[in-house]
Amino acid sequence: MSGLLQGYGRGLTLVFFLAAAAWGLMLIVLPQLTMVERALTAPSRALDSSVAQGLARDARTCISVLQTYATDDTAAATSGGLAVPSMTGGAPSSGGMAVPSMSGDASEPAPSGGLAIPSMTGGAPEPAPSGGLAIPSMSGGAGGAESAAPTRPYILQCERATTHKPLSGGESWLDEVYDLPKLNVSDTAPIAEQIAAAEEIETLAREASLRIREAEASASPYTLSNFATLFEARLIPQSDDQRAIEDARLSNRLMSLTGLRFERDGETYSRIGLVTLTRTLIQAVIATALALLLCYPIAYKVALASPPRQAVWLFLGLIIPYAIVELMRIYAWTTIIDNSGLINGLLHWLGLIDVPIQFKRFPGTVFLVIVYTYVLFMVFPIYNVMSTLDRNQIEAARDLGASPWRVHRRIIIPHSKPGIAVGTIATFMLAAGAFSVPRIISRGLQAEWFSQTIYNKFFESPNANVGAAYSFAYTIVCFLLVALFMWLMRTRLKDFARVQ
Amino acid sequence: MRGKDVTLDSVSITYPNGFTAVEPTDLVIEAGEFFSILGPSGCGKTTILRAVSGFIEPSAGRVLIGGEDMAGNGPNARPTALIFQNLALFPLMPVWENVAFGLEARGIGKKARRDKAQELLDLVALGDQGNKLPSELSGGQRQRVAIARALAVEPAVLLLDEPLSALDLKLRQHMRAELRAIQKKTGVTFIYITHDQGEALTMSDRIAVMNNGVIEQVGTGDEIYSHPRTAFAASFVGETNRLDGRISVVEGAMAQIETPLGRFHARNPEQLAPGAEAMLFVRPEAMRIGGAANRFEAHLVRRDLEGAFLNLFFDAQGAEIAVHVTNDGHAPELRDAAPMRLGFASEQAVILPRGALARTGQELAAQ
Repeated sequence: MSGLLQGYGRGLTLVFFLAAAAWGLMLIVLPQLTMVERALTAPSRALDSSVAQGLARDARTCISVLQTYATDDTAAATSGGLAVPSMTGGAPSSGGMAVPSMSGDASEPAPSGGLAIPSMTGGAPEPAPSGGLAIPSMSGGAGGAESAAPTRPYILQCERATTHKPLSGGESWLDEVYDLPKLNVSDTAPIAEQIAAAEEIETLAREASLRIREAEASASPYTLSNFATLFEARLIPQSDDQRAIEDARLSNRLMSLTGLRFERDGETYSRIGLVTLTRTLIQAVIATALALLLCYPIAYKVALASPPRQAVWLFLGLIIPYAIVELMRIYAWTTIIDNSGLINGLLHWLGLIDVPIQFKRFPGTVFLVIVYTYVLFMVFPIYNVMSTLDRNQIEAARDLGASPWRVHRRIIIPHSKPGIAVGTIATFMLAAGAFSVPRIISRGLQAEWFSQTIYNKFFESPNANVGAAYSFAYTIVCFLLVALFMWLMRTRLKDFARVQ
Repeated sequence: MRGKDVTLDSVSITYPNGFTAVEPTDLVIEAGEFFSILGPSGCGKTTILRAVSGFIEPSAGRVLIGGEDMAGNGPNARPTALIFQNLALFPLMPVWENVAFGLEARGIGKKARRDKAQELLDLVALGDQGNKLPSELSGGQRQRVAIARALAVEPAVLLLDEPLSALDLKLRQHMRAELRAIQKKTGVTFIYITHDQGEALTMSDRIAVMNNGVIEQVGTGDEIYSHPRTAFAASFVGETNRLDGRISVVEGAMAQIETPLGRFHARNPEQLAPGAEAMLFVRPEAMRIGGAANRFEAHLVRRDLEGAFLNLFFDAQGAEIAVHVTNDGHAPELRDAAPMRLGFASEQAVILPRGALARTGQELAAQ
């Protein structure tokens, strides 16, 4: 501190500390805190109050659509909107979206082609499913003629306007948990009654929403449910013969032992989140080990076993590929491993193969490209430390009768350990977080890496907070692995100071 | 432990870039001898050492250790051990593992290694330091660890590459005595490389003076100092006054040389003939103020007090003449501006053929 003050004066020192603080805050602390908070928060639409509010909204829309029927039927038909004619009378349905009405009644409004799909109710009207896009309920076959005819066409929102609404998780219901009467909008009652019912539902839902929100405001908003999805098991649909074959595989047996895969009621379940996580970590470890095996001899050759002029050329050879953008380097590999790529072309030309080898389906290809892509992050730290080794120590060891292997084991590796640790950690973290390599090389033909899972959860799932939970959990797991590695290597943080 | 003799049989060493570090050289080092190779940096002495230890193969000639031709034997297959200039201790191993490393390489069990290391550490008076790291020891202690490590493999020949040069003066002087004592105790042949004539003269049984890849003279310290055979040996070992001239008369083992300061009478060990270009060398401590066989006049220009003796520098017609006198209270003062008469005994002056000289401090500084 005093050294800084003396060296740079008060102004520059202040700027330095502010910059360091800003850097730490903006790039390390805040993003991680945000990530943790998102990971611990359930998405707001999953809250019970949101369900109640959605119900009120549905009821309101239902009312406004019903009102158009109460005044003028034909007006409603032409106004577009969401309502779609119902196809009564047992006419066969073609099942598409917005199917024209084919009922006998000529006064039936023409289809408006909105989002809703015709309900082909026969006898007893069932509540429509509450999913996002309603799927036509096809109950009853030709029995529509005998049952009471609905007084209005199918209206999605009216079907959804029921207090018997599932809460998030699908295990409990709004009316049961919050003690509401079980109400819904009947489609056979007169329009006025339907409107009244909908209005009652709306009022109830609004009140309930306010009441629940107050309770929620005082309760903790944090939940571990996002993390719990990581442990969720998914049913693996397969036939019995298939199951016997699959279960016999070593990887599946290992997964059964560790609880990543289990059987229940004769069906196989797999905790795919955890499976992907484990597989990615194992693959990252293998890729790192390959990189280390490759880089140690290179670093040794360049740092200790070459005259300086030769070392320059070796080094250039290493660095030149890194003047190319990472993505280009990866794409370059696709031209090599493609079905019509360099290797297959060569093998075909030599007459060794008739059918191209599907390199992009081999996990080994991904390892290879990862090693190639991140090899420099392994070579440089090792090279830097190794080049600080006094060559006299190697000569002294040789002179004392040590074999080359012993010289490496007792002199060079212990000296290079900090570089090996830094290179390994850097390469491991890059491999574990690799997104572009598995994505570009495998093109979806291999099981995804966890980085891809995180991406999908963030941007292609209904709940981005799960992505936050996944990435945070992944950070922790990787951090623990790195800590374990450092403990195994007996490396302390201060050793890293030797790696310039 | 028993030392072995080392023979260089017309060994010459040329590096791949064409530089000849060692001209064809014959040298015999006796078993159990403390042998020094003395020369300025770049003279090829380290190259000879590396050829003996096996790190480089001679371009021509043979290296024999104990009568055995060492060609094709790597450093790990020779009965030699090398102590490096920077010691090259293994910094990440405790002292005892350093000492026992050679035994480890020979596959000796841990218990035996530990015992042998302890024995050697006791020999170099570091018995209680075995579990420390080299970085926790002082310079002199590290020095002794390096010696113990080299002795652990029971070498017949111990090669030392200026191992004392990094130590400060007092320690260096002490370590000289220790090295000598260890050599006597173990009986191992020591080949000691140095550019420090003090080290070479105090420790060695014999010394080889080397310059530009050529061994100029081999002999005991006394022979080298008192009876140099070449101009380089005379000028490199110890301080000396030099006068260029030409032989005028040869009288048996003596000769007369004509110099700008006059005609002087001195020994002529190389049997130079009259008319030969020659150099006259006289040690400063051989110079006398006042009368002697050979005389000339000079002005006192500088007077440096060394303590027990004085370095006096005279100007004799442009030539600088150094004179060492004991500080007995009778030394002349600088204010005595009058020219003084200097002289030296004929037996203490030597006439040698003209040749390359060791560079003076002034020349080294200008480099």
